[in-house]
Amino acid sequence: MCLGLLLTCALFTACQKKEEIKVYRVSKAEPETSVSESPSARGMPPAAATIESGNQMTRGMPPAASSMVAGLPPPPTSQVTGTPPSNWESQPLSSMRQLSYVVKGQNGALADISLVILAGSAGGVLDNVNRWLSQLGQPGITEGQLAKMTRHQQSSLGDVTIVDLEGLPQGADAAKDGRIVAGIAFADNRTFFFKMRGNALLTESQKEPFVRWIGTIRMDAPASAPGPTAAPAANQDNPPIKWDVPGEWKPVAPSSMRYASFAVAGQDGESADISASVFAGNGGGDLENVNRWRAQIALEAIADADLKALIIPVACKDGQIFTVDMNGPKSRILAGWARVAGKSWFFKLIAPTQLADREKAAFVKFLQSVQFHP
Amino acid sequence: MLHRLFDFVSSLKLTIICLSAALVLVLAGTLAQVNFGIHEVQQRYFHSLLIWWPPGVQGLKIPVFPGGHLIGAILLANLIAAHLRRFRWSWEKLGIQLTHAGLIVMLAGGLFTDLFSVESFMRLAPSETKNYSEDSREMELAVIDESDKDLDQVTAIPEARLRKGGTIEHESLPFRIVVRHFYQNSRLQPLEKAPKDAVPAATEGVGSQVVISEIQRATAENDRDLVSAVIEISPIPMGGEVTSPSLGTWLVSDQLGAPQTFSYSGRKWRLVMRPERYYKPYSLTLRTFTHERYAGTEIPKNFASRATLIDPERKENRDVLIYMNHPLRYRGETFFQSGFEKNDAATVLQVVYNPSFVAPYAACVIVAAGLLFQFAFHFAGFLRRRKKAQLQ
Repeated sequence: MCLGLLLTCALFTACQKKEEIKVYRVSKAEPETSVSESPSARGMPPAAATIESGNQMTRGMPPAASSMVAGLPPPPTSQVTGTPPSNWESQPLSSMRQLSYVVKGQNGALADISLVILAGSAGGVLDNVNRWLSQLGQPGITEGQLAKMTRHQQSSLGDVTIVDLEGLPQGADAAKDGRIVAGIAFADNRTFFFKMRGNALLTESQKEPFVRWIGTIRMDAPASAPGPTAAPAANQDNPPIKWDVPGEWKPVAPSSMRYASFAVAGQDGESADISASVFAGNGGGDLENVNRWRAQIALEAIADADLKALIIPVACKDGQIFTVDMNGPKSRILAGWARVAGKSWFFKLIAPTQLADREKAAFVKFLQSVQFHP
Repeated sequence: MLHRLFDFVSSLKLTIICLSAALVLVLAGTLAQVNFGIHEVQQRYFHSLLIWWPPGVQGLKIPVFPGGHLIGAILLANLIAAHLRRFRWSWEKLGIQLTHAGLIVMLAGGLFTDLFSVESFMRLAPSETKNYSEDSREMELAVIDESDKDLDQVTAIPEARLRKGGTIEHESLPFRIVVRHFYQNSRLQPLEKAPKDAVPAATEGVGSQVVISEIQRATAENDRDLVSAVIEISPIPMGGEVTSPSLGTWLVSDQLGAPQTFSYSGRKWRLVMRPERYYKPYSLTLRTFTHERYAGTEIPKNFASRATLIDPERKENRDVLIYMNHPLRYRGETFFQSGFEKNDAATVLQVVYNPSFVAPYAACVIVAAGLLFQFAFHFAGFLRRRKKAQLQ
């Protein structure tokens, strides 16, 4: 009996061990960094390593995969440009950072500046501000408190919400921490995070240059971006699609992430912004997207359970587009999306309420005319 | 009831069943190597309790045959039970009992070796120093917190855990990792070279430029699977609320050379899929690697690695010579000269940790002693009887 128990314990322990997550600390000055490791030999068993002829290291790896080892695509190249102040020094970019700078003050004071772009809603303004506050060791705030501490800056990305937060987290170096000035913009189904974090006095002195820098940010349109045609032709990056554009809508040059843009004028200089965008994959969850759009027109987020009631399907020429119609205090968003052949299409109209009311019928007609596979 | 169970466990019938099952298992495992390769067959048929069907598929599976561990364990229990049941102390039986005891030690040692031994490899180029070895057959996702200026904190998630999928939360991580897809063997292709309707593997990092597809498992002895996974880094909801945005999906793969980093909670993190590492409290630096061949041929005559072993804890700092049949044994691990790379660019040492490595030696000695005693006992009896007959 004891033996049985012993064997069972041993077998169970061995099975559990295979899935056990290990945590350990290693010195940054790892010994192996002294000599570069040949990627071709990395991790091969000796049976392969001992073979002296032929490229055994890439056996079993298809040609394309083999080439990936040596010729990986570089991290996404930045299509964002801006004009930083002359005293900011560029830093190496990471896969997250599209732009990265550091500014140095006196007595070792530092501030780190970055632009990070995330797909989808990325949590909205309040959640992110509370996240930054927690980084500074400060308690979170409410929507009402947030409204009092934000300012707005116009840029090519649209409205940028700017916050200035103070606090020194426990154990932090005051020369390098103590304040965050940050900006958030939502454009083309992406969230742009501008952030400067560092020494409180240095950050204060760099606040206005930081805000001016945000104003200089431009998204460079890629060469293959479609032109402002009413019925865009297929190109290398995007699949073919056809639609009928209402007569009053004027084509506008699309940004790098818009497939096509249109504008229609209303009264008193008002205008409606209509866009069509396409993304690989599912383009974020429906709830995330809807709540991001709601945040853009100052509506509170909804729960998943309430989403279904909000969605109205509209039949287009060769499929179905799911739509939502959301009316905020001042403006209204009509949006539609469809997932076709591994890509997600988004259609959106945002305008002051009266103008959106007027254009709703045209927008629905536009959606009905969409043909994903012409 | 217990008596009947004990009767069955100690019966010869069970021995025959186990040995027959072992025969079938060996045959089936040998045939299965055609489709699965030797390593996979070892894991699936011999280093397992049960053989599941259908193989290599997630979801519902049924056990169809006992695996090597189960057959070995039952055989071991059967042998011990039979030994206990039939044990009668007498000089006459001592040899047989010793032989059976030796077999028990051998079976138990084999089982424990299978369960607890660790084999890995250390590849060293000249002058290179390493304080870890790697298991090239098992991958791990290393999530590395690089915030500290001196030390990296590594959270190593084994391949077996990634394969299970689902959400991974760990106290060392301020976020959770959701395994969106696990690829046992995969092929990566740059997005620009992929078909137009191809979808990037992930939304962030290198994965946003790469298309991934699942391919057949590698079966040749020198091949190995190229393990990949698509994971999502997402915040841990606090009080049911998500307080920060998801950091998107990331492709992690042994094929990726480019590092992938991101910031979270004010800390910098790095994601690496790599062969599972075993760190040691000591290091080895390769000084010279000698590769002698028989004159006029390319046939290896001898290959040897001279390395410096440095162990700050034990104040060791000495040169060691590792060559064929002369391994280095240190702190419970054995370093065998296993191979070398093309043009002698590096030496490859096999590193074996086997807590029950003494078992086969002990078993052989016990069995030999038992057989010798049995032979001597019977031989002495024979001589006595013969002498007695001659006297009569």
